[in-house]
Amino acid sequence: MFYIHQSSCITAQQAFIDPATAAITESVENKLFALDTNYDSIPPNVLRRLGKAVKMGIATGHALISKHPVDGIVIGTANGGLEDCIKFLNQIIEFDEGRLTPTNFVQSTTNAIAGQLSIMSSNKGYNITHVHRGLAFENALIDIEMLLQENPANTYLIGGVDEISEYNYTIEDLAGAYKKELISNTALLQSTTDGSIAGEGAAMFLVNNNKEGACAAVTGIKTLHDSDPENLREQLSAFLQEYLPKNETVDLLLSGKNGDVRLNKYYDLCASVLPPNTPVAYYKHLTGEFFTASAIALWLGCRVLETDLFNNLLAIPSASTAKNILLYNTSKGNQHSFILISKV
Amino acid sequence: MSRIVVTGIGIISAIGHSAESNRLSLQKGFCGVTSIELFPTRYAALLPFGEIKLSNETLKDQLKVTNKSVTRTSLLAQHAFEQAIKDSALSNAEIISHDTAFINGNTVGGMCLTDELYQDANRKSTNSPFVTSYDLGSVTLYLQELYGIRGICNTINTACSSSANAIMYGARLIKQGKAKRAIVGGVDSLAKFTINGFNALHILSAEKCKPFDQNRSGLNLGEAAAFLILEREEDSTDKKIYASLSGYANTNDAYHASSLSDTGEGPYEAMAEALRVANLQASDISFINAHGTGTENNDLVESIAMKRLFQSIPPFASSKSNTGHTLGAAGAIEAVYSILSIQHQELYPSLHFQTPIDETGFTPLQSFQKNPVKHVMSNSFGFAGNCSSLIFSAI
Repeated sequence: MFYIHQSSCITAQQAFIDPATAAITESVENKLFALDTNYDSIPPNVLRRLGKAVKMGIATGHALISKHPVDGIVIGTANGGLEDCIKFLNQIIEFDEGRLTPTNFVQSTTNAIAGQLSIMSSNKGYNITHVHRGLAFENALIDIEMLLQENPANTYLIGGVDEISEYNYTIEDLAGAYKKELISNTALLQSTTDGSIAGEGAAMFLVNNNKEGACAAVTGIKTLHDSDPENLREQLSAFLQEYLPKNETVDLLLSGKNGDVRLNKYYDLCASVLPPNTPVAYYKHLTGEFFTASAIALWLGCRVLETDLFNNLLAIPSASTAKNILLYNTSKGNQHSFILISKV
Repeated sequence: MSRIVVTGIGIISAIGHSAESNRLSLQKGFCGVTSIELFPTRYAALLPFGEIKLSNETLKDQLKVTNKSVTRTSLLAQHAFEQAIKDSALSNAEIISHDTAFINGNTVGGMCLTDELYQDANRKSTNSPFVTSYDLGSVTLYLQELYGIRGICNTINTACSSSANAIMYGARLIKQGKAKRAIVGGVDSLAKFTINGFNALHILSAEKCKPFDQNRSGLNLGEAAAFLILEREEDSTDKKIYASLSGYANTNDAYHASSLSDTGEGPYEAMAEALRVANLQASDISFINAHGTGTENNDLVESIAMKRLFQSIPPFASSKSNTGHTLGAAGAIEAVYSILSIQHQELYPSLHFQTPIDETGFTPLQSFQKNPVKHVMSNSFGFAGNCSSLIFSAI
């Protein structure tokens, strides 16, 4: 168990910044691009050269560590700066491996975000990038859990980042990840067809073992590679048995349901393991689907524990006051994660 | 706390397809950096590479793989993975047990298929079998699915230190009780993406690389895979034990995206921290398997960092003069070489060295030696400032 303190987040939704007033941003051509503003913490000469994933990662991360020095940086990203990757790739093919500039190459390595953050903050501590597709952010959480056992007095930055690039949109689309028909994100959760809509974003957190002033405790994390729903049921029951305190309940399921009809069985099963009246809230119609979307779910979960300002946006019954929130997400039905967070 | 020990190793590189053949090549000072035969690139005639001379078809035949979507990176990984689990005599029940973790370091993934990726990413193809095979996680997920691994699975990219971090992560999972055993290591195959990337940075040498030589002219890219089986010593009493993983560290140089600081802060801290974790003094180290890529920047900075830490420099060498720089696999294959040094009490020479670097005057080990070897330090430093150091110790 460890505690979350300050956090930051960039998604498509201004409503995540002004939950009371902002309208919901709608998807365009099945994509929800993150807001391209709020880069105040990045010097203009640096900003100009950066791709979106690196920009979002630095903006959210540097906003935190510039004010609160940390002992290490742990990033989860499935793909990092892929737009730079495809730019470089296209140059390789189109110029037949001719003279190329290295900027796109250096920026496209998935560890560029963690590296840039360390350079900008002169942070010589632990520095790592987890890239395990749909469990990249969850593996970062497991790393943090271990780091804070090993170094109980330390504070770390953890974050999840991924971008929509031409490259990954096309590749994922060919792999059947997105809907063939145009759909509004507001109708996503009711969809009965295959695929979801694309999203992007970044969320970063300062974490340590200090309960005081924390906005949430991360009380349990479990990852699973399995596509058999029965095994999922068994693992979720065991997870709750292990991490949910006796006589307490899951007060809210924050579900990663993404409108892909092929994955509904996992989300439905997860809900069915909990008591029948457990409220369920969704967020992927607001963020779109991406491999580190669970970082955004964690950020939202923290807000729900802190305030009821997000209840409207997430359609949470206003009477509910959550103490324990279960985050469940699956990527493509073969990677699953449970994250349990609790009020401090 | 029980020690973390290595009970199995598997490796494939340009100097051998097994641990034993790699060892023989290291003993003889064999260099696997040659003209390219299999990989199509316009640099084939211009630059030498540490290419594994097995075609994808041969690898598939040997591994009995028929799945069309499997990339060369995954095939090399599978080759080393199968050797490692066999060497450690892991049963199928152990492999699929919830307490067996699998951690893979990787920087290229399926991007070895640069041309296919270009076609797919630009929507110039139909029915490509590779659309789920390009990302870094694809290699790990291929083996996870093939073997039905159910414990913690992870893919790490810290550039050229990726698999050193995979080894460290696996050891920490065991120490924290999150796994009973861990299959750890890494892989990378030759790719136009990395060849052109490193070439654009002007750090590829047209000759065989000369680590720690005053007149070094850059690195040679290579391809390889290696995996280790890590377990607790108390769980391995009936097993062959190669060595213990006694120290590890991960730091950042916090200086530049693609070069190291003049004073080698990251490398120095990585080595010093690994010594602290191992509870050893610098003078305890018998041998350093240096990062030693052969670039202007790395070899000078690594030497400076070594000079700061060691009052008297132990014998050191860079096996990249044998294999080329295998990027995400480098930390893992060099872990295997460190383990072989300990197992056989012998040190392998660095190749192609003539003149010491002016600033430091260090000379790497240049001949094969039978020597007492107690503790071997293995360094891996990468882009984005990612520095790691591992220490393997005799049991």
